[in-house]
Amino acid sequence: MSETMSGAPMLEVSGLTKRFGGLVAVKNLSFSIRPGEILGLIGPNGSGKSTAMKSVMGVERPTAGSVKLDGVELAGLPSHRIARMGVGLVFQHSRPLARQTVLENIKVALLPDKLTRLFADKDVDARARAIAERVGLGGVIDRRPPTLAFADLRRLELAKAVARSPKLVLVDEPFAGLTASEVADFSDLIREFRDDGRAVLLVDHNVKSVSALVDRVLAMYLGERIAEGKASEVMQDETVRRVYLGGALVSTARPEASFKDVTPALQVDKVGVLYGKAQALQDVSLHVHEGEFVSVVGLNGAGKTTLFNAISGLVPYSGDVKWAGRSLAGGTAAAIARAGIVQCPETRELFGDMSVRENLELGGNALSDAERAERLEWLFGLFPILRTRQPQLARTLSGGEQQMLAIARALMMKPKLLILDEPTLGLAPVILETLSKALDRLRETTKITVLLGEQNVTFALPHADRVYVLDHAKIVWEGPPDRFEAEAAATYL
Amino acid sequence: MPSFVTSRLFWIGALTVIVALVLPTYVSGYVLGLLTVAYYTAVFAMSWDLLFGFAGEVNFGPTFLIGVGAYTAGILDAHFSPGLSIWLCIAAGALAAVVGGVVLALPALRVSGPYFGLTTLVAVLMLQNFIVVAAGLTGGEIGLAVPDVISIDAKTNYWIALGFMLVSGAILFGLSRSAIGLILQASGQDKIQAGALGFNVTKHKLAAFVVSAFFSGLAGALMVFYMGTASVSTFVDVGVGVQIIIAAVLGGRRTVIGAAIGAIFLIGMGELLRPLGELATLIVSVIALVVILFFPDGFLGIIRGGAKA
Amino acid sequence: MLFWQILIDGFAISALYALGATGFTLIFGVSGVLNLSHGAIMVGAAVAAWAAASEFGVGPYTGALIGILAGFILAFATYFIAVRPIQRSKAIAESEKEIFILTATLLWGIIIQEAIAYLFTNNAKTVLPIVEGVTTVFGVRTPRNEYFTAVICWVAIGLLWFLVNRTRRGKAVMAASMNPRGVTLLGIELSSIYLTVWAIYGLLAGVAGILLGMFLGVSSYSVGPLTASAFSIVVLGGLGSVSGSLIAAYVVGYLETGTAYLISPAYRTIPALLLLVVVMYLRPQGLFGRR
Repeated sequence: MSETMSGAPMLEVSGLTKRFGGLVAVKNLSFSIRPGEILGLIGPNGSGKSTAMKSVMGVERPTAGSVKLDGVELAGLPSHRIARMGVGLVFQHSRPLARQTVLENIKVALLPDKLTRLFADKDVDARARAIAERVGLGGVIDRRPPTLAFADLRRLELAKAVARSPKLVLVDEPFAGLTASEVADFSDLIREFRDDGRAVLLVDHNVKSVSALVDRVLAMYLGERIAEGKASEVMQDETVRRVYLGGALVSTARPEASFKDVTPALQVDKVGVLYGKAQALQDVSLHVHEGEFVSVVGLNGAGKTTLFNAISGLVPYSGDVKWAGRSLAGGTAAAIARAGIVQCPETRELFGDMSVRENLELGGNALSDAERAERLEWLFGLFPILRTRQPQLARTLSGGEQQMLAIARALMMKPKLLILDEPTLGLAPVILETLSKALDRLRETTKITVLLGEQNVTFALPHADRVYVLDHAKIVWEGPPDRFEAEAAATYL
Repeated sequence: MPSFVTSRLFWIGALTVIVALVLPTYVSGYVLGLLTVAYYTAVFAMSWDLLFGFAGEVNFGPTFLIGVGAYTAGILDAHFSPGLSIWLCIAAGALAAVVGGVVLALPALRVSGPYFGLTTLVAVLMLQNFIVVAAGLTGGEIGLAVPDVISIDAKTNYWIALGFMLVSGAILFGLSRSAIGLILQASGQDKIQAGALGFNVTKHKLAAFVVSAFFSGLAGALMVFYMGTASVSTFVDVGVGVQIIIAAVLGGRRTVIGAAIGAIFLIGMGELLRPLGELATLIVSVIALVVILFFPDGFLGIIRGGAKA
Repeated sequence: MLFWQILIDGFAISALYALGATGFTLIFGVSGVLNLSHGAIMVGAAVAAWAAASEFGVGPYTGALIGILAGFILAFATYFIAVRPIQRSKAIAESEKEIFILTATLLWGIIIQEAIAYLFTNNAKTVLPIVEGVTTVFGVRTPRNEYFTAVICWVAIGLLWFLVNRTRRGKAVMAASMNPRGVTLLGIELSSIYLTVWAIYGLLAGVAGILLGMFLGVSSYSVGPLTASAFSIVVLGGLGSVSGSLIAAYVVGYLETGTAYLISPAYRTIPALLLLVVVMYLRPQGLFGRR
């Protein structure tokens, strides 16, 4: 806590609600931040934290509720007015003006919103330089963004947001893509803002990465607040642990030695992926035997989706991925899918305006009519609800039904390796039961190999023969599920 | 290094301007006439580039603004001459184009992407139809004969056009490099972030529209009094608009100067190849297509690339 | 009597507009391309049919087939020359690709247009009608070819519907227009989907072109207005919506025919344009637009 922290809140959010059509992204959220305080808004994907932050900034217009900055109502105002009232936002993805220098980029943030100014005020240049120095960009001030390192681009975003000394600073995923020492630098900078008497709101996926920095944490799930308090308190909170780690951890693993293949069916060898400048995956190696069920657990942003996209050929990568002894590099994504490696992505990618049956039939596009009909029957046995919903348009299904459709569609392809990316995201517990049973049946009755990416450990572990933990682009642990709780769980949250 | 390049380009530019200034002493009236038209077209292209390059909007109907400017000036003169000085008509033309720009911008800025382009295209078609239908006022498809011209002397017309182009170019280029230009770039590149930085994006894009409209309309009005006539095929036709867009992309988008180079190139090439008859437009189009496919940064990109190496 | 005249003529011309617009919107819906050489492809097909018949003396049926083939070839040429190189180019930023493709298809259209003018002159040409003669229905004398045009247009549209809703390939195309990534995940190469779509487009544009050539005649001057009218119809109906284009085509077709007969042919295009302006103000994404 900073000594300059005063009594009255700088930001007061009450009853904030944001609805997108039928989807309620933020439900009746209330919190406040005092000047000289850092609040962390934590939650997994779909929890509504980013939407909440965007609502404060005016990038999204709140459906209901009030957002008060220093007593003045912000809700409903356009973002440029809110910005001028003293709110700065550091976006998650760096968006600099590529053709302008760092100095010019910062200068833009200092310009007034007037049409008549042809030339900037004389002091703008000096102020821009001062800001650049402060965030550590002094050495690259005349360079253009495409030549900058990733961390410097993030510094530039920070510089732009605080250029006009806002009373409230919003930071979206402050540490994504940064190395440990860069994280330390950024933390210091954010602490300085706090010590200046500003109110700071951080939004992030996991408590651990921001726990050293924040004064308080507010945990969100499915649009609502589930816990609030000091970081250590929230990490121990029952509901939070259930949501992130789940309840009791059960295991039905088969030992690795029981898998017959000499060389593992899937071999991922020192794979690295760069998104622009950010290292999304670093030196990742893992293997999966034929018929084995392997879970890759990790929080949002750890790199699970990137790993799966690399295997499926959807992103370029360094290193090698081998299936059945042959390298997958160079194949088109569609060819890899045809070879039997089928991914059911987090976003599901259903054909919304087509019926359930049409979606499934498209999954069977490479099968003969007879084979396709047979496969369809088998899948209806696995997911009975889909049979009843056959003629319905995919986008009218509930979240759980859509997930089942996505998995069923992937299974129509007769995959040898099924990759499931976060199938339980945002689903109610009842649906998880059905999914669980389906996975069990697949395990018992077929020789299918499964790679399951999950942040919900309670769901992932009972279906896994082996577990990898992915954290900040690296594999940090490997082992059987029964050893997970003892060795890995503590560091996971 | 960078300053060396700029200064080299600067000297090339200065040399070109000097050559252009003394040209009338050496070439025929025909060539001068061609260049006059080219210079006005260059202003059309530069205005378009400002709007596209900096406000990020693809405008399909530059000819709407040009046409409104040209015809307003022409009609006023045809009906009120000799009471109204042509300079007043020209001013009225520019003003009318600005109003037209605002009227067009209001619906257009509410949409984005292809719909924006289509809105502008529709405006052109509407204007075209209106002109043809209100033939009594506008001269319809035949065209409007304007009793006054700026000057009969080819040299005077040439220098006025050249001067106008240089001044407009300087203003437009200066705008693009100014603080306002910086804000416009930000608005065009990333609307959301520009808003988060405190800029009213709609206001700025509207302003870009107004500036583009002003210069287009003014150039159109001036050209009417150069040619002595106004017709749909010279000012309003979609084909003319197409030429303008191609000129700007060919020359190098977002550079303002590039647009001028592109326009002069197109008109010059069209003329050079005239002896080939029908094939002229064909060959120019092929060249333009090749440049776009292989040199996406246009002529200015080629020149800059050469200077860097 | 006038009523039936308007009804019949309006139906035929709307059908023609519908066929042209459907192809245009299909290309946009699946590959996101606004093909500005649309009019040129249609005219190219018509002129090829005319040239085959008049200069090489083949019969109207063969001429028509040659015309459709020409449409097919021109469409593929458009894809491989003006669209694909830009889509695959590493030198152009993603956000810029749209304007480049637009400009490239524009230029390509001009190239085709000028080539036609050079090789075959600017004069209007009429393609030999396949069906000759005149019939009288409800007291209105209409060339039989007009009925033929309407029938063929609807047969073509019907075939397209069948293809897209009942065949595997067609459904894959439909799916690609909804979600290209989804289609890739199911093992279907997007590149082959694009080829299929451009092939379908070429056939549709070819058929529309030769019918237009038979019905109204074409010349190299028709290119611009044809592209512009397909544009307007598709915008009215909503970019990417095939049913929207069909309905919009009929609205525009009837507005034009009605105006031509009841007010004056010179004002033909005005009501449709006014409608377009109103729609742009009130519902910019068109009547059935998705985006």
